[in-house]
Amino acid sequence: MPAIEVENLRKVFYISKKDPGLAGAVKALFRPRFDEKVAVDGISLRVEPGEMVGYIGVNGAGKSTTIKMLTGVLVPTGGTVRVLGRDPHRDRVANARDVGVVFGQRSQMWWDLALVESLNLIAKIYEIPAARYRELLDEFAATLELNELLSVPIRNMSLGQKMRAELAATLIHEPKVVYLDEPTIGLDLIVKERIRDFIKEQNRTRGTTVILTTHDLGDIEELCQRVIIIDAGHIIFDGPISTIKDRFGKYREITFEVAAGAARLELPAGADVIAAEPRTLALRFDRTQTTASQVAAAVMSQVDVRDFSLAEPDLSAIVKQIYNGALQEEAAA
Amino acid sequence: MISYLRRQASIYGAIAASVPKRFLAFEIWFWVGLVLGAIEMMILVFFWRAVYGQTATLGGLSLDQTLTYILLAQVFAALADQDLIWEFGYNLREGLIAHMLLRPVGFQTNYYVQALASLATRMIMQLPMALLATAAFGLRWPTDLAAWGAFLVSALLGYTALFFFHWILACLTFYTTEVWGLGVLVYGLTRFFSGGLMPLAIMPVWLRTLVLAIPFAQSLAIPLNFLSGITPVAEAPATWLFQLAWVIGLGVVSQLFFRVAVRKVTVQGG
Repeated sequence: MPAIEVENLRKVFYISKKDPGLAGAVKALFRPRFDEKVAVDGISLRVEPGEMVGYIGVNGAGKSTTIKMLTGVLVPTGGTVRVLGRDPHRDRVANARDVGVVFGQRSQMWWDLALVESLNLIAKIYEIPAARYRELLDEFAATLELNELLSVPIRNMSLGQKMRAELAATLIHEPKVVYLDEPTIGLDLIVKERIRDFIKEQNRTRGTTVILTTHDLGDIEELCQRVIIIDAGHIIFDGPISTIKDRFGKYREITFEVAAGAARLELPAGADVIAAEPRTLALRFDRTQTTASQVAAAVMSQVDVRDFSLAEPDLSAIVKQIYNGALQEEAAA
Repeated sequence: MISYLRRQASIYGAIAASVPKRFLAFEIWFWVGLVLGAIEMMILVFFWRAVYGQTATLGGLSLDQTLTYILLAQVFAALADQDLIWEFGYNLREGLIAHMLLRPVGFQTNYYVQALASLATRMIMQLPMALLATAAFGLRWPTDLAAWGAFLVSALLGYTALFFFHWILACLTFYTTEVWGLGVLVYGLTRFFSGGLMPLAIMPVWLRTLVLAIPFAQSLAIPLNFLSGITPVAEAPATWLFQLAWVIGLGVVSQLFFRVAVRKVTVQGG
């Protein structure tokens, strides 16, 4: 049984439309008008247990709306959602026991309570056996470095501390499916790394299914094997990250550390110099026209090369291309 | 069945226990609340003394009876306090409703347990007001245990009825997402119609009829009438039955309202 199964999912919001000014407000009282906004338009997907899937798209693409329908918070306008075989809205309580959600900008904990009080309460609500709760609390406190935060009220925590605490609160009942909506938003690199490691570890040791929405493609590259891209409510790509890189990572970069620069280089077709400094030479090449070894050989035959490195295709550049219509262009071609 | 009940008691007991901790997180509000409560009590006592300066009885009540009622109403004012409209509004506006819906507990039961715990906490926090009413204004506490029993049952039923009534109104916020006007209106209506400012007996007949036809008075005036000796204890069973009817009726309607309203939830933004 798939962990998540979505068929032809649709969500339409009706947004009140008013003319500007007082006259508009009065008119709206007697003749309210609504604009129809289709946030999610017939998407279908399937996620297997233990998968970590990146769910990305530009602002307003429909990511968060989808997640809220998967959690059961929003009721779909059309289509079906099954999470672990259940309808998450109709079986709200049973579904809530098996899922965990981080909404990056909203805390699920009690603002005025110390972290440990919030976690104790969550343990009671989710009926975690006392011994298991102690084990998990020790484990999470160590991995997420929470020991010093346990007695601190949530309202007194920094953003990074809050997010670490939030992850502990989300995963302490060992949910089978976890939705992470922007879990690293606004965090520094060290905290980001700690959080990514923690998520990876939960997935590896407990087989937790993870759906991750983020604008930080570093999160996706680090954690997910599969990525789903949504645009204007439609899924425009669903597949492995390697496929997306193969399809759209047309250009790659190769950087040489050189003894001295060359005046003019003869390069294979499709290769160009993008930066030339006294000791460094950076080239970009179209891998449909040439290969890394051909480019390297050409450069080494003309310049004294001490070292070189080949950069993997940059996911953010690729996704930017896709957001800008690369898929449509490819289909048209 | 017993195991199920024990589990539920453990879950909701923990939720209830968290309420006083949250109340006490901001000590300053405790002291501010006490000072404001004391000022209000003083104003009401002087007001009613002035009113009775012209007459010996009003609506069949003497000054002593009215003052006893008013002081008790001040001490037990928490019975007419419900924060549901503000809470729903805040949770909807901030998107926290999403987390509330994701807890594996009954949504309404969760709020009801918190309301009861909040009532108990507020009652304890009113102890200084009880001392003030006794020491400064000569409140004579009833000694009839039967009156206390009638009051307690009636207060629980009335508070529950008011909870369901506020729940129905709070469900409107799922449609409007704006609560300020509604919250202020309902707060004002509750203050007046609950009987916190004057005994129902003093109201004109048409107004008293209206007040008894809406649920506000069930939580404060009706129970207080037992404690202040306005309603004889012998009338308690009939009163309880009437209040129970309010509880059942409003309870069913509140669930129906919620079931429809929750489908309108929109949680904006990421």
